[in-house]
Amino acid sequence: MTESEQKPAGRSVSVDLPRDVANKSDKDRLLRAIRMSLDIESATVRTNTQLFNRGRYRAVAEFPDYDALKDQARRIKETSIANLPELIQALKSSVRGHGGHVFVASTAEDACRYILDVCHWRAAKMVVKGKSITSEEIHLNPVLEGDGIEVVESDLAEFILQLADEQPSHFLAPAVHYSRERITALFKRKFKTDLPLDSGEELTRFARERLRDKFLYADVGVTGANLIAADTGTLMLVESEGNIRLASFLPPVHIAIAGVEKIIATRQEMAPFLDLLSASAVGQRMAVYTSFLSPPLTDPAFALPGKPIKPREFHLVLIDNGRMRMRDDPVFRETLYCIRCSACLNSCANFQTVGGHAFGGECYSGGIGGSWEAGTSKIENARFSELCTGCTRCVNQCPVRIDIPWLNENLGDQLNRIEERTPLGDALGSLTGAAAEDRSAPISKMFFGNYHYFAKWGTRFASISNAFAGSGEAPSADADTKDEKVGTTRTLMERWLGVDHRRALPEFPKQTLVQAARRMEAPSSRGRETKVVLFADVFTNYGMAKRGLATIEVLRALGADVVVSESVPEGRAALSQGMIATAKQHARRATTELDSHVSDGRDIVVVEPSSLSMFRRDLHHLVDSRERFERFRSRTFEPVEYVVRMLAKSGRTPQQVFDISKSKVGYRLFFHPHCQQKTIGCAEPTVELLSALGFDLVTSNVECCGMAGSFGYKKDFYDLSMAVGADLFGQVVQQDRNGGARQLIASGTSCTEQLHAGFERTVLHPIELLASLLEVQESTAKLEEEDKELESDLASVKRGRKELSKS
Amino acid sequence: MVDLAATFEENAMEAAAMVWRCERTPLALRKAVGLAAHKARGIVLSEPEFLGEPLIAGLRGLAGFIPRPDDDQLASADAGVTEAFAGVASTGSVCVALGRPLVSATSLLMPLNIILLAKERIVARPRDLFDPDCLKGEGLKRNLVFITGPSATADMGPLVHGVHGPHRLLVLLLE
Repeated sequence: MTESEQKPAGRSVSVDLPRDVANKSDKDRLLRAIRMSLDIESATVRTNTQLFNRGRYRAVAEFPDYDALKDQARRIKETSIANLPELIQALKSSVRGHGGHVFVASTAEDACRYILDVCHWRAAKMVVKGKSITSEEIHLNPVLEGDGIEVVESDLAEFILQLADEQPSHFLAPAVHYSRERITALFKRKFKTDLPLDSGEELTRFARERLRDKFLYADVGVTGANLIAADTGTLMLVESEGNIRLASFLPPVHIAIAGVEKIIATRQEMAPFLDLLSASAVGQRMAVYTSFLSPPLTDPAFALPGKPIKPREFHLVLIDNGRMRMRDDPVFRETLYCIRCSACLNSCANFQTVGGHAFGGECYSGGIGGSWEAGTSKIENARFSELCTGCTRCVNQCPVRIDIPWLNENLGDQLNRIEERTPLGDALGSLTGAAAEDRSAPISKMFFGNYHYFAKWGTRFASISNAFAGSGEAPSADADTKDEKVGTTRTLMERWLGVDHRRALPEFPKQTLVQAARRMEAPSSRGRETKVVLFADVFTNYGMAKRGLATIEVLRALGADVVVSESVPEGRAALSQGMIATAKQHARRATTELDSHVSDGRDIVVVEPSSLSMFRRDLHHLVDSRERFERFRSRTFEPVEYVVRMLAKSGRTPQQVFDISKSKVGYRLFFHPHCQQKTIGCAEPTVELLSALGFDLVTSNVECCGMAGSFGYKKDFYDLSMAVGADLFGQVVQQDRNGGARQLIASGTSCTEQLHAGFERTVLHPIELLASLLEVQESTAKLEEEDKELESDLASVKRGRKELSKS
Repeated sequence: MVDLAATFEENAMEAAAMVWRCERTPLALRKAVGLAAHKARGIVLSEPEFLGEPLIAGLRGLAGFIPRPDDDQLASADAGVTEAFAGVASTGSVCVALGRPLVSATSLLMPLNIILLAKERIVARPRDLFDPDCLKGEGLKRNLVFITGPSATADMGPLVHGVHGPHRLLVLLLE
């Protein structure tokens, strides 16, 4: 076997440096960056971001008016961006009124030129900088250094990155990927020192001693600004180390660099951000230093012996660099509401696993980072936004309520459209009915975005499709070649459709949910006041029919009149691939299908949480009016959520309907709620009901399992998906250690697949468990029998294929 | 009714500040500062605005006190004494009004920062200082810094106190 054959799939031989893969305008660099991050940075990034994330949950829980604060912050940002041209004028007057200077730079180059000019006017030899991501955006350091000016990064994280020549990997903690051990090695290498430097204290002291004199003798201090009040010219500056205070206080010249979106109307409006920013960022009640300055300061400039006394001077450099264009865009305007707190980074499972060197560009990172990169440079630089799986865990964490997944779906849409159209793409588009605008999307995306089409045909010929695709099977480990291991079909699927050969595919059922439901004997609807339509979402209909049947059984047992809709896509699959025009078509089909049911007074129950989330959250982007969205949002429910409602309505206790002693899986459960289910707030009913019934229930606390719909199936992202899943797997193993294996319970189709990948154990939907606790479980039993028949069919087809290949 | 001073004390200590309750007399204050800065070779005091000269006059007699420090002395002093504009109970922060002589220096340059906080100037939440009715609306007019514990970083691995700003923050809560 050659060396290259021994490598795990997808691994590159040489190790990339972060700078080599900072620009991800081509896919290859994105994949290399993921590899690099998984190999080198993942463990430290995971520890640090999860620490921030836990702290944030704790800190925001202390606000009794958290939602009201977020609403207030959102309103302030919306109004400020709407009035931005006027606010810029007002701010200019305020700052000039104090004796400061304001320069509005249209481009990064203009901004750098102005700052360089200021340095020239003041004969500056040394500039000391506080942390400023915007200065990274405009590439200020190389411009100043190119002119012979010494630039000193004083934030310790930036100090590390300056030494290592790396781009930031996080908005707030730019060196979040550096462990203490790696910093020690870096300092020893760069400073050629024998000092021990084996603790955070020693490293900090070492850096501080080198930086203090720089502050004292610097000619110019450069800072950013978290917010700027137009009425008073006040800068809000948030930090922990004290370097921003030093940079704005010690040198005679202070230059503050900020994007124009940082301007709000009044200083009074900064109040809600004071609470939200630190809590959302790293879970602190308040950062160590939060300054409100209207420079230039009135204290005399600091002057050590030998340093000439100079009058204080303040320059505010406001950066446009694409922001006013973003403001004109109805979708990307929302990016400008961002206060760069990094809550979306820390709450993102993918970001927690690879950090901003993979999930980020040359400057900005994480879920919101793609929109910043695209807005301030070009769309190709936002290719890393593909790592946003749309799991929506960031949505409720954003203190200004930015719909970050929607931004990334729009970036995906734009990236699809700059691809060249191919005859195969056109043919697939026409076959599946994808919108004409989306037909330039890569083949893999066309496949995943139109999964309903392939599932429909796959199910029509279930036995053959399953046998050929090896559905439901993990690849064989005792075969010699990849083809033998995974079968030619899977090899071709990987090559053409991007479906990773290591993922077991879900089995197509012999009969779909719709077909099986029609064969169920429906009780008379007389006297049944609660009317329900079970939406036959594509994932349940073609993959998890038993879950749908269990839902029907339980709801009927509770007295509901249940019918099943036709199975049509609702847009989730297409939206997740950035095919927005197709998603709109699908959303129209689904709402049209459900219209008559809703008019008939039926509530909608949806089994698959990602489909449910379409009706409850995403649909307003895809349908014509808010009223139409409300019509569906307010009537759509998760199965167990609906069970709990029905119980409450009827006044029955859970024990009157469900008998825990009938449980065939014991009483110890491990529940993994779906990410989107948590975001829309319908995971709690499952926890409450199963606990009330007396189950010993443990719930996972990972943000997302890493499967995230199609994401984990893609060969490009399989390794990342499994690395993300490791947290969930670890929690299961940990729980199993204490008293034996727990029955795995998951609400999502893809979560189920991920748990299968980790454990090859049965995973039940909570509604299946509940159905098994009812008195009669006729239809599920029938389906189980039919499944056994299907398995035997499958086995005989496989035997036939094996014999054929041997001969 | 919430005891703002007690809440402040608890939250400030959680943020790694030290809080000493101190009687509001010249003698008690001198004793407390002297004890806190007993090893200091240089102590710098910024002129108070609210507490009044008689209260702080005794500090000028402490060993190591520098009456009119030049910048060189400021850069090498060990302790700075700063008056707080306000305290914030929910976060344990002290709020310092900048602009008067030596306020920035004493609250930033020395390893030990001793903050003098009058108990009645503690507000419930940070946002209260943005209310025009709170402390005569002065919070909306001044250059301010909210200080929550000693300067800190987690950039070097574990959390370390004492980076570019003070390593120790002592709040003398004047009752």
